[in-house]
Amino acid sequence: MTVTQTAQTTVDALPGQRRKTPQQWLRQLGWRHLVGVIAVVYAAFPIVYVMSASVASGGTLTGSNELFATVSWANYATLNTTKFWMWMGNSLLIASITAVGTVLMGASAAYAFSRFRFTGRRAGLTTLLIIQMFPQMLAFVALFLLLLTFGEVVPSLGLDSRLSLICIYLGGALGANTFLMYGFFNSVPKEIDEAAKIDGATHAQTYWTIILPLVIPILAVVGLLSFIGTFGEFIIARVVLQSEENWTLAVGLYGWVSSQLDANWGQFAAGAVIAAVPVLALFLFLQKYIVSGLTAGAVK
Amino acid sequence: MGDLKPPAVTGKVSAWNSQAFGVGFIVKLVLMALVNALGVYVIWAAWNASSWVLLGAMVVILAALDYVYFTNRYTIPGKYVAPGLVFLLVFQIFVIFYTGYISLTNYGDGHNLDKDQAVSAILAQNEKRVPGSAAYPLTVVFQGDAFGFAIVDNGQVKVGTADQPLTAAPSATLAGNKVTAIPGFSIATSQQIFANQQAVTNLRVPFSTNASEGSIRTQNGTIGYLYKSIFVFDAAAGTMTDTEKNVVYTASDRGQFVAPDGTALPTGWRVMVGFENFTKAFTDTQYSGPFLRVMLWTFAFALLSVLTTFLLGLVLAIILNEERLRGRKIYRTLLLLPYAFPGFLSALIWSGLLNEKFGFINQVLLGGMNIPWLTDPWLAKLSVLGVNLWLGFPYMFLIATGALQALPNDIKEAAKVDGASPLRTWWSVTGPLVLITTAPMLIASFAFNFNNFSLIYMLTRGGPRFADTSAPIGATDLLITMAYSVSGVDGTAAKNYGLASALSIMIFVLIAVISGLGFRQTRKLEEVL
Amino acid sequence: MRRSITTVGVVAAIVALSACASGPTATTAPATTAPTTTAAATETAAADYSGATLTVWVDDTRLAATQAAAKAFETATKAKVTLVKKNFADIQADFTSQVPTGKGPDITIGAHDWLGNLIQNGVVAPIELGDKAADFETVALQAFTNQGQVYGVPYAIENIALIRNTELAAEAPATWDDALAAGKAAGKKYPFLIQVGETGDPYTMYPFQTSFGAPVFTQNEDGSYSSELAMGGAEGEKFAQWLADQGKAGTLDTAITYDIAVDAFAKGKSPFIVGGPWMLEKFKDLKLSIDAIPSAGGQPASPFVGVQGFFISAQSKNAIVANDFLTNYIATTDVQYAMYEAGQRTPALKTAAEKAASDTLTAGFAAVAANAVPMPSNPEMAAVWTYWGVTEANIISGKQKPAAGWQKMIADIQAKIKK
Repeated sequence: MTVTQTAQTTVDALPGQRRKTPQQWLRQLGWRHLVGVIAVVYAAFPIVYVMSASVASGGTLTGSNELFATVSWANYATLNTTKFWMWMGNSLLIASITAVGTVLMGASAAYAFSRFRFTGRRAGLTTLLIIQMFPQMLAFVALFLLLLTFGEVVPSLGLDSRLSLICIYLGGALGANTFLMYGFFNSVPKEIDEAAKIDGATHAQTYWTIILPLVIPILAVVGLLSFIGTFGEFIIARVVLQSEENWTLAVGLYGWVSSQLDANWGQFAAGAVIAAVPVLALFLFLQKYIVSGLTAGAVK
Repeated sequence: MGDLKPPAVTGKVSAWNSQAFGVGFIVKLVLMALVNALGVYVIWAAWNASSWVLLGAMVVILAALDYVYFTNRYTIPGKYVAPGLVFLLVFQIFVIFYTGYISLTNYGDGHNLDKDQAVSAILAQNEKRVPGSAAYPLTVVFQGDAFGFAIVDNGQVKVGTADQPLTAAPSATLAGNKVTAIPGFSIATSQQIFANQQAVTNLRVPFSTNASEGSIRTQNGTIGYLYKSIFVFDAAAGTMTDTEKNVVYTASDRGQFVAPDGTALPTGWRVMVGFENFTKAFTDTQYSGPFLRVMLWTFAFALLSVLTTFLLGLVLAIILNEERLRGRKIYRTLLLLPYAFPGFLSALIWSGLLNEKFGFINQVLLGGMNIPWLTDPWLAKLSVLGVNLWLGFPYMFLIATGALQALPNDIKEAAKVDGASPLRTWWSVTGPLVLITTAPMLIASFAFNFNNFSLIYMLTRGGPRFADTSAPIGATDLLITMAYSVSGVDGTAAKNYGLASALSIMIFVLIAVISGLGFRQTRKLEEVL
Repeated sequence: MRRSITTVGVVAAIVALSACASGPTATTAPATTAPTTTAAATETAAADYSGATLTVWVDDTRLAATQAAAKAFETATKAKVTLVKKNFADIQADFTSQVPTGKGPDITIGAHDWLGNLIQNGVVAPIELGDKAADFETVALQAFTNQGQVYGVPYAIENIALIRNTELAAEAPATWDDALAAGKAAGKKYPFLIQVGETGDPYTMYPFQTSFGAPVFTQNEDGSYSSELAMGGAEGEKFAQWLADQGKAGTLDTAITYDIAVDAFAKGKSPFIVGGPWMLEKFKDLKLSIDAIPSAGGQPASPFVGVQGFFISAQSKNAIVANDFLTNYIATTDVQYAMYEAGQRTPALKTAAEKAASDTLTAGFAAVAANAVPMPSNPEMAAVWTYWGVTEANIISGKQKPAAGWQKMIADIQAKIKK
């Protein structure tokens, strides 16, 4: 992990001194570790609870208070008999494509807002943010009817299509994520652009070959945020996707517990635990892009 | 600040200058060719399906895209914004307008169909078998284009079509109960029958010239019964008449057939009702009372959520940003755990954890106390905020970390050189800078939590219910969950999609105005600093 | 459980196929009497629907059994049957919104109390059962009838009853007090388990309410409901008072949800639980007896009976094929029995019900169903349930006074219905 050096110097550290005394360590780093551990416990204990519920046999949501009393992998095994892995595949597919699309379209829009002067620039960005605040969960009727109209013309864009779900999510690409990237683009000095222009690059060449590599950290962050958001979204996915083979993980898991009488909490817990894995894996993978190279100059 | 010039630039210079038509141009050509091909396909398919709105929209979009990408005059920014803008226009903006259109109708339970469908539904529901009608073995026949029925009545074969009542056909040949040949008609094969199922099931062959005897109808192609339509629709007068009870129902402008005494037929159709849905939310006495309470709580919830998550995220970011801290990566990954779980799953799990008698928190962590986390109004509000804190702090932590790392060190150094204590540096220098970077995200988070439907719905369903009103609204209901239950979408009342759409537009306007004002404030702040 | 469904499904398919192929006494039907089912069966067995696709919505529990019938149908008629699995909770709303667009399914499973709503939305078509109508249990057919028209083919009857753990309580209690006494004598954590939840469960409480003489709507002679609320008045208030007393005594508790109650009973923490056949698979290790629900107010306790069946879409383009499938394949003993095996609910077809009655538990539920009343299916019920449940829960937990709360609920419901 490449960590850039922020020039933090403390009064006590003399050049060449490596080891600290326990007291110094406690004062400077130890308490941070303590806070970190407490925070991790706070963040993780419901997850631990879910994991324990997933390995318990005979699960009810509130019946598994004795953590890890029984350990059986039966719930995980039964996942194989359901369409769980198909849903996982659907979710990964939809979330990845959406994330890539969001990053590309959002980055180019952010670049335009940052570099070019055009009418409506100032208001445009806030308008984008505000448009995305529309509460879609009540507006699903309009979405439903829209997809029906599309479906008559282009069958693969109708109801029950993963492609239409991706398109709907991409409708939200220009929004808060663009704003995040806008701020970052602003911190890349315009002198670079000008230098490239002098050297004969077109604006597209500047964008793709010079600017984008510089903003990889924010691209990674936005990709991750978009992936997480899409992965866990179930309200719109429930409206669009009808047949079980097309369901995403969120819709499928919700289906397992929405019927009170057939709720299978152990299986649900197992599914939930596995559902968290792709996001964490992605974050681990993107970590080095996110935290490195965040050097660029001023905040504005 | 201006000393960053990646060495890659010089390497590319020669590449740019040497090629007249670079890779970029070819890529653009290929992509635009694909887009145009897709667009033309959609236009052609729309033409075939007679979907004129889609056709028109596609033509406009395609023309605009071609203009943006192949000209250079004013369209350079457009080239970057176009793809995202197209998706935004079609799947967000248009949806908003369409929702607006629906809010002007009364689409919902009881007004689910268009008028023609409603009329045929009413007629179908009231077509009753004549009491004592025998089950006639039936064979589907056709003459030219029209289908007809040949039945066996008391050993005698009778045949008729929609226009021609049943008449005897003595020269027909029978095999068991099926007619195998009949003069003047051809026997329909089962392939032909099922290729025209609707025609066959819609066919009514009058039993005799006396219309009141009813007509033959089949539902399975092999047995026919005598049916009579109790209801008669007069298209010219727009009335539906119940011939049994002699009541005439007139089509009202609210999309129902209404009798003179006020009773209405249950099946109706959708009509435009103007702005009625918008006023209903306020004039409905059941809801206008708690409306204020719910609105106040929604604001409070959104504000407090943003504050608490931001504070916790920021504090953790500051503490864990120390680069000498080993295991930062591990801390960061583990702290992201709450955010990594799909939100609604976590809310469900927390509702189990917080159960008063059996939840983990009460039983295990607090040693058997029975604190009514989700059933006492104030504790429920606290729990909701607490769960949202757990769900939301990782996002803020991530953003705050990014903001902290993007801070210019020279400013902090300058403050230190000037003798400022760490706290003072924070208060006057670092803090405001971080706030400015993250302010838009905070506003976006406020808007998100304003409409945080899944959390409330999964955790408390809006409960605990207000005991003093009759509306099914509770102490943790947000405007959006209230709208969800008011409009019946959650199944607790007759569904009214028109009302739901109107409410969503009102909520949107509310949050848009507030956010707009908020953005204006941050811009002013930006300029000051 | 899943393994047994598949085995049963396969067996049912084989049996159904052989039944279709052979067909007992094929009499030549005289014209005036209705043709026998076998004549119809042999006729449709010869029908050729190749190229037709029938779309059927099912949910998890009925999938396997419907698959068996679908395969038999496909083999016999060369039609294609597409089963779409949906969540039961989503079916009603999705069906209502999709049918008018022409893109809905041809057939869907559903519950009888949806009927009023489906009719008001114009999305279901009446079906002519002909002679087959007499083969169904009266209450099942009645539940699917509206204004004299039958709107579906029923396949299951479900109701709650008293499930008793015979090892903890030897006798069936006649009254509520008997039950409590026996429960306390058993010495376990809960003398009596009944699910309530924060928002109440009026469906499960209904037998106790009827035992006070306070049915929800008045019933007409033909069994249908009027829209006149009958649960107000003195009887209703007595029931409300009983709820409050039990809440104070702790026998009724809003913290007991369905999950918790089932889990506790399965672990042997109570001799009694009020529930339906859907719970039975969680109680496999226990020795059970199904009894009538004890009366709390003196009058017989009649629970609700819910009937499930298949509806035909009003806009179906395959009306004939759908009709054939429902009347000649779903309405057969083997398929109905296979559905019973999958969902544990009493079959609606008389012959299948007799076969199922060989299982004592099912027979127990069926015996209770004989005194049960169908759930009202008018569209206004959606609003009624919410007020009803929340008021009951509030009275039990003490948040509302019994008489005042009950009267307020009646007033609210009446105001809502009038709109």
